[in-house]
Amino acid sequence: MIELKNVNKSYSERTVLCIDSLEIKKGERLSLTGANGSGKSTLLKIIAGVIPYNGKVNVPGRVLYMPQKTVLFDMSVLHNVTYSLTGKRKEKEEKAMEALRKTGLSELYNKNALTLSGGEGARLALARILVNDCDVLLLDEPTGAVDIEGTEIIENAVKEYSEKNGCTLITATHSPLQAKRLSRRVIMLEKGEIAEDCTPEELLLNPKTDFGKKFVSMWRY
Amino acid sequence: MDKELFHIIGVTLRMSFFSTLISCIIGLPLGVIIETGRFRGRRIMKKTAGTLMGLPPVVAGLIVYMLFTKYGIFGSLGLLFTVEAMVIAQVMLITPVVICLTASVVSVSGKNLSETAKGLCLSKSRSLLLFIITNRKALLGTVLTAFGRSIAEVGAVSLVGGNIQWKTRVMTTAILLETNKGKFSFALALGMVLLLISLVVNVLASLLVKGEKTDD
Repeated sequence: MIELKNVNKSYSERTVLCIDSLEIKKGERLSLTGANGSGKSTLLKIIAGVIPYNGKVNVPGRVLYMPQKTVLFDMSVLHNVTYSLTGKRKEKEEKAMEALRKTGLSELYNKNALTLSGGEGARLALARILVNDCDVLLLDEPTGAVDIEGTEIIENAVKEYSEKNGCTLITATHSPLQAKRLSRRVIMLEKGEIAEDCTPEELLLNPKTDFGKKFVSMWRY
Repeated sequence: MDKELFHIIGVTLRMSFFSTLISCIIGLPLGVIIETGRFRGRRIMKKTAGTLMGLPPVVAGLIVYMLFTKYGIFGSLGLLFTVEAMVIAQVMLITPVVICLTASVVSVSGKNLSETAKGLCLSKSRSLLLFIITNRKALLGTVLTAFGRSIAEVGAVSLVGGNIQWKTRVMTTAILLETNKGKFSFALALGMVLLLISLVVNVLASLLVKGEKTDD
């Protein structure tokens, strides 16, 4: 179980995240939603351990994290995916090709990653993550710049991976609808604090806070 | 003289190659670590490297001279007035340049690449390699700058090398000697050869980058 207690993050005296207590069960699929600057990315970065923070955070097991501004490596698509793997070359390449097939990029395996489009790049970044095993998977707006078709591919690949591995999945997204498709629990952040903690259906149909109502109403129409 | 000239060119290339190589082995990883790492003393290290970029060559030469002179700490090694001592002095001069330029190159993509590498649970050595691979084209400029500084240096190498004929004489010290002898045209000719070497190295380096296939 992931546990956060009295977690606080500030940049130049500006508090961007303040969480008293948060528990995420093993294997749970959770989405973080909220406006820009609400603290979604910061929370993911803290769980991933890539930025310093105040407070207590306990994340058991291997954590994989796909940042919002993920960088594609200046090498082939295939090498991007095999780079984080260890073992024999043939085995690594087979695993990578499988991940590329799932993300619809297998035909582009020998292209340089920097020549891919934005949507293809997002799928490659995901394939690079999904080729590894993990206990906790953190995705920061994985479909931020992706079209509908690409979004569907990414969501299906993520769902298949998390179901197969039984890992805890935490996704940051602007869309409560995507939160509904990917998870069974959603946390809405407002100015760095937890505003709503419920099921995606509850958030969409019956938000408790004024901010929640305003945020969700934009997605209803 | 032709034979001696080729010897001088050989010593110059040997000294410049090894000093650049050693400086890059030390400086490239340090530059990445200084820019992307989170540890105490990082800023001091960065400032120190920046300050040492301005280290006068004769001062570097003097330090190496004092270390390797007969009564110096490393005097027993007998390295003074050898190409090895010249390489050591060059490494002292070039490494801060490599560190600072690498840090500057890495700072452009540093934060996002660092997060991506951490997110993939890459080991420190794999992350370091990734930074160098990702920025290899820009880092080639750093290597060329280091080589350029090395091949053009005169103060430190004449102090610790002694400009000994058939032993430690390099292009720059030879130019200095010929100028002092009043043989300006010959000194100028040597200067042209030095420029030509620099040009060949630069062309080879750009061919290396151009020759890289876009699709791996």
